[in-house]
Amino acid sequence: MKTEEQKRELFTIPIGPQHPALKEPGHFRFTVDGEIVTDVTVRLGYAHRGIEKAAEERNWIQNIYLMERICGICSHIHATAYCLGVEQLANVQVPPRAQAIRVLVAELERIHSHLLWLGVAAHEAGFDTLFMYSWRDRETVMDLLEDLTGNRVNYSVNLLGGVKCDVSSEQIDAIYKGLEFLEKRTHHYLDVVGTDAMFLQRTRGVGVMTRSYAELLGAVGPTARASAVARDIRVEAPYAAYPDFPVNIILETAGDLAARFLVRIKELFECYRLVREILNRLPPGELVARAPRRIPAGEAFSRVEAPRGELFYFLKSNGSDKPERVKVRTPTICNWTSVLKLAVGHQLADIPMILVGIDPCFSCNDRSIIIHRPGSEEQCLDWETLRQYGQVKYGNPT
Amino acid sequence: MEILRSVIALLIFPSGLLLLVAGLAYEWVDRKLLAQYQNRIGPRWFQPFADALKLLSKEEVIPEGVNPFLFVGLPIVALAGGLTAALYVPIWGLPPAYSFTGDLIVTLYLLSLLALCMGVAGANTMDRFSLIGATRTLTQLFSYEAPFLLALLGPAIVAGSWQISEITAYTREHWLIFTQPLGFIVIVIGLMGKLELPPFDAPEAETEIVAGALTEYSGRGLALFRLGKGVEMVIGLTLVAAFYLGGVANPLWFLVKTLGLLLVVAGIQALLARLRIDQTVGLWWRYGVLLVLVQWIIMIGMRIVL
Amino acid sequence: MKLGAMISDVTTSLFRKPVTERYPFERKEASEHLRGRLAWDPENCSGCGLCAMDCPAGAIEVVVIDKQAKRFACHYHVDRCTFCAQCVHSCRQGCLAMASDIWELAALSRIPFELWYGDDENVKLAMAGTPASEAQKSGAG
Repeated sequence: MKTEEQKRELFTIPIGPQHPALKEPGHFRFTVDGEIVTDVTVRLGYAHRGIEKAAEERNWIQNIYLMERICGICSHIHATAYCLGVEQLANVQVPPRAQAIRVLVAELERIHSHLLWLGVAAHEAGFDTLFMYSWRDRETVMDLLEDLTGNRVNYSVNLLGGVKCDVSSEQIDAIYKGLEFLEKRTHHYLDVVGTDAMFLQRTRGVGVMTRSYAELLGAVGPTARASAVARDIRVEAPYAAYPDFPVNIILETAGDLAARFLVRIKELFECYRLVREILNRLPPGELVARAPRRIPAGEAFSRVEAPRGELFYFLKSNGSDKPERVKVRTPTICNWTSVLKLAVGHQLADIPMILVGIDPCFSCNDRSIIIHRPGSEEQCLDWETLRQYGQVKYGNPT
Repeated sequence: MEILRSVIALLIFPSGLLLLVAGLAYEWVDRKLLAQYQNRIGPRWFQPFADALKLLSKEEVIPEGVNPFLFVGLPIVALAGGLTAALYVPIWGLPPAYSFTGDLIVTLYLLSLLALCMGVAGANTMDRFSLIGATRTLTQLFSYEAPFLLALLGPAIVAGSWQISEITAYTREHWLIFTQPLGFIVIVIGLMGKLELPPFDAPEAETEIVAGALTEYSGRGLALFRLGKGVEMVIGLTLVAAFYLGGVANPLWFLVKTLGLLLVVAGIQALLARLRIDQTVGLWWRYGVLLVLVQWIIMIGMRIVL
Repeated sequence: MKLGAMISDVTTSLFRKPVTERYPFERKEASEHLRGRLAWDPENCSGCGLCAMDCPAGAIEVVVIDKQAKRFACHYHVDRCTFCAQCVHSCRQGCLAMASDIWELAALSRIPFELWYGDDENVKLAMAGTPASEAQKSGAG
């Protein structure tokens, strides 16, 4: 048992909001004893931009591009989820070729996201060579996306009711060639991540999350699949063209960092297979269906599988040309509790690896959250009360 | 006259200004090689000079709560230790400026001064990251020093002297890389630990503790520490080349051997991931010491037999 | 378990040219589908203004001089544009297109970012109504 004096000896290390380990701002306070972590608290909200409020001031079409810019890496999947929800509200049947192209771009985006994550995770481990090589190979998929959609990031492929761009035969050939190169390199990375002794020393047995714990904490995406929790929206509730192009779930049982690496790299192979299948059997037809400018009143929600996990959109319309409410729940929010629980007991040097192991996307996750505690009343503060509250709390009467 | 000669030797040639420039040049070669291994371009030739000039011209911010004399004085002591150590090694392929019995031990102590100063500098501040960095620097110092010293003393034993110039006279005829290969491996890895190069850069792990012990330093202090690291790299490479790669007879051989060694060191940097500090200590005290002790037993056994 | 699993990459790179593109000395050809700067052809414009309504950044304005006589001018803010190409698809007459070779748009002042498209007299009349009298004129048609 530690005395009061000994307790004060424990250190608090702040990681963030500015820190080389974090690519985006977020504040973590680690209490360490020597090099072992004993407690973690997190504070988010540094990248909050008020997007959900801004969406209420723009019409349905302008909002596609606003939703795209919630996150840079998973921009297409945000726009797809939004368009699927609006099409549900307006009862628009999207032609099958458009759905297939949406899924094609989504899978290419998943390839891009996983390669990016591989590089960033290797950089956090101090393995800069893997970082440089995986980002060099990521350029291939970005060039493919530029050729297909017109931009390297923020592809802007979605329209309400379909897609903007078509796939020509030269583009199909270029994609096949690019995938061949990427598949060869991915085999090499699987070998590196699975057998390099120094890298395994940093990842094996670190941040182990058992299956029951993952289910308890509500983890989603590859983080959960690495702990043998079979959650994948593309399989549980197929959307867009996934009913025609089914996906295999990739599971690992170890639940540690090495398993998370393996899940994401094996998902890359699944993406390559899926992209080839889509290109082989691309359905003919139009690219876009007419969608009304005023969406009928109602509520709809859409769930999609972003590269990081389950992405959930709730849309409410009141019949006008601007939405009444857009609510976005991103996967990273679900995975934070797993980090907070796992970090305790590990060494300080493992912390950046554990943080990056869930593939955090801070820009995605800064939405407003309402937590209901059972038994307590809901408090709703208006502007004047909020001002008073702030003045009292920070001791700064005007 | 003697004083003038000492001052010139310490400040201009062979140590001093020329060594500082060479330290920056070797840092550039290391970064360029690392970039080449990673299939990218790397910095242009004047990058380390530009960095040093820029840092020297910036304001030095002394944080609250530190001892200002220590804060300002430690970088100077670290650089001075490095520059003084150069007086006893056969740098540039020329015989050392000063030579006396036992100067190997003096050189080794002077070379450790840099790491020690960095550790004390980190402990001097109130910043969390510096304190952890200082702890790691000193822990690493205690772990690689033993095998590194033993590997350096191996050639001293076979040459039968503690004087660097006599040891190099012996190693010029005998290439110790072939007769003491385990010692060579240990000393190359030990050099990387001393210079805090990846995979042993846990003390200044950028993604965990920002910059380790040097987090609070800026301006002149940071420039002097970085110059000190460059100088230490040149001296370390010279020692390894002189002891194990058949001595450095003239400037051309000096360049060829030290740059060849730098090629290998940069390759190891590119190849391996960073080790945690406990893994570093474990590695050194288990495998490092074991290898060098095995080498010593073989060496002493052969001396008794032959 | 092996040490140095990336040894093949590291050693072959020693003898290869770096893969970095030395822009601006070497320039790669942009894809023909790249969404570069917008261009407007007044020939078929009906003045519906859907492009301006749907633009998420307010980068395009259609100035109506005479709707019956189909005289319009178009004011395009390059610095506000997000290059999403929504306007291209909102226009039912196909007046808009994004150039795939004009993408190096950096400038040292705001003047090159205010573009006016249309016939010269239309543009002059449209600009007379706006305070940006030093804006560039880009003739199209």
